[in-house]
Amino acid sequence: MNDPIVHVVDDDPDLGASVARLLRRHGFAAEPFVDPAALLAVYDIAPAHCIVTDVMMGDLDGFAFADRVRAIDDGVAIVFMTAWPTTANAVDSVRRYGGLDYLEKPIDEDRLLAAVTEGVAWSKARRTAHARTANLTPRERQVFDLLVQGHPNKVVADRLGLSPKTVEDHRAAVLAKTGANGLAQLIALTK
Amino acid sequence: MASHSLDHALSRQAPTSRTAERYARAAMLLALYALGFVLTHRLAAAWGGHGYYSLWFPAAGLRLALLWRVGARFTLPIALVELAVDLATGAVVVTTPDWPLAVFGAVRPVIAYGVTVFAIRQQLSRRAGRGGALFTAPMPFALASVLAPVAAALAAVPQALLRPDLTGITDVQAMVLSLNAFAIGDLLGVLLVAPPLLWAVDRLSGRQRAPLRAPRMALLMEAAGVLAVGLAIGAGLAWIDLGLQPAPVLVAIAWIGLRSGRVGAWSALLLVAAIVLPISANDMTTPARLQLHLGLATIVVTGYLAGSFADAQARARDDLARRDRLLFQAERLKTLRAMSVAVIHEISQPLSTLSIEARHLHESARDTPPEVAATAALIHAKATQLSDLVRRLRRYGGRAVDEPTPLPISILMESVLALARPELSAAGVGLAVGTVDGDLVVLGQEVELAQALMNLLRNAAQACGAGSEVTLTAAREGTNATLTVLNHCAPDQPPQPGMGVGTLVARAIVEAHGGTLARITDPAGTVRATIALPLIGDRP
Repeated sequence: MNDPIVHVVDDDPDLGASVARLLRRHGFAAEPFVDPAALLAVYDIAPAHCIVTDVMMGDLDGFAFADRVRAIDDGVAIVFMTAWPTTANAVDSVRRYGGLDYLEKPIDEDRLLAAVTEGVAWSKARRTAHARTANLTPRERQVFDLLVQGHPNKVVADRLGLSPKTVEDHRAAVLAKTGANGLAQLIALTK
Repeated sequence: MASHSLDHALSRQAPTSRTAERYARAAMLLALYALGFVLTHRLAAAWGGHGYYSLWFPAAGLRLALLWRVGARFTLPIALVELAVDLATGAVVVTTPDWPLAVFGAVRPVIAYGVTVFAIRQQLSRRAGRGGALFTAPMPFALASVLAPVAAALAAVPQALLRPDLTGITDVQAMVLSLNAFAIGDLLGVLLVAPPLLWAVDRLSGRQRAPLRAPRMALLMEAAGVLAVGLAIGAGLAWIDLGLQPAPVLVAIAWIGLRSGRVGAWSALLLVAAIVLPISANDMTTPARLQLHLGLATIVVTGYLAGSFADAQARARDDLARRDRLLFQAERLKTLRAMSVAVIHEISQPLSTLSIEARHLHESARDTPPEVAATAALIHAKATQLSDLVRRLRRYGGRAVDEPTPLPISILMESVLALARPELSAAGVGLAVGTVDGDLVVLGQEVELAQALMNLLRNAAQACGAGSEVTLTAAREGTNATLTVLNHCAPDQPPQPGMGVGTLVARAIVEAHGGTLARITDPAGTVRATIALPLIGDRP
């Protein structure tokens, strides 16, 4: 199945199932989860593109849950939903917890679908970028990291104690392996 | 449309014409002041003496009343007016080599008065509402009335010491005497003239509109009796050759002031002054007159301070009682809030599910029999309506409650407009705002009142929708500050009945602040919602 994967986390099983069904009707492979802790335990074998999570939940709240998911997988988009909206939480959810949106219950369906669609697209782009840099050698990775910070070859050579010629070779290898067409595209991979 | 253009004039074209109007009014005030200054100066001449300032100087009362009413920024214009009058009447001559000192001598009292008024007003605004009885109206004005003459007398000390030749008084004893006489003349002039003058001006300008209350008969009799006894004892002391002793009348006046406030005190003072001043006019030796006026000034200062203090305490007591009521109401409101927030939360959870499923049901019931499809559509519509309601309820409530503090209406409007402007312009609704008098201060919780005002603005905007205009104005009406929200619907857009919740919440908040919320709908559908809140007074 190629549908994008979405996990819906809400301690109200009816609502979670309802949101998951709604997303499935719109072409997402959505699954409801009642317990965030249980989802974390199996997340490794069931990663998602996007997670829609409630904020106020029993033992583990939505924000703490988001932090822990991110620690496992930094390529997953997160959308928060809550019945207790506050401005402070709305700001935090986006700034500190990297949420894509903060939805008030009762949920605005169109906004939810837009957020999830955007989240899936972001997640896929990020995963692709990851995949392209995944098979760099450790030395190539070092060169790559410095190059994308905007350092010229000469500085990279100094920092790593290599000759400019060697750096030049690594650079060519990095471009070849990632399929990038220059520095700008390399930098885009890190975004 | 007529009201449209009026409000536009109010908010946009006004600044220039209003500035011109202000200047014209200031010029007229100063011209009136010049006339009054000349007249009162003439009046004072009867109580003058060689080498003395007049021992009863009503012009000083005129000066303080004007400064108190229009503020210390008028010090310089007033000084110039007095100087011009002095030059015209020959009281100050600029032909002598010492003319700069003579000019300074003429404007110095005005500057001393201005500085005193400024300092007291400054203290007042810094302590707005929490200075205790000493800084509660009418005490500040009473303090200014007593301190300004003293400040003016003290301001004369340096020149009197450095250039005694100018006034012709050479020894220090005579100088102290002269300055005392000056202070006494000003004190009597200020305390007898300024209070009724300010009262009359406030009445005429509509600033003070509280109905006149007849004094209670018992209190009136008591005051009359006490004063009669005081006067009789004074007369008795004079009869047994102890001279004119002020003490018995002083006690009587202090009693009257404490019992019946400054109106009672001032009326009694007027009576005493009416007895003393004719005696001391013209045919009296200067030392005897000074003696008599010293006694009178003591009585007047004591009486007026006692009366003002009694009024201030009564006022502070009222403010305290109001604050207590407010706190009590705030507690109730807080509980109500907490409950409604909890209810909203509890409802929104199942409603989320209901809403999603109802829409799905509606969408998938298209091919079912019409009756089933109609039912599904109705369920969806009602669920949507309920969802909207919950979202809106949440917006109307659910904020923290703070302590009631003195709150200038201008600041309240500023914080509300910061919220309302973007919201209304997003809805395509225009917003016109009138100018605000910075003196309007109420006691209240800013967040709460902002919420109330915001609700009214939202309702007004919602009632007519895009293309309409909402007007917000603030004014003083008697002892209240009023905030009026007015909606003008576009001609082709009849007003929609708004949701009552916003108004209910606003009314609860305003009434908790001891105010009222009135809504008047005219046949054209224009709604005028007016919040009236009691002012906390900083003026007598």
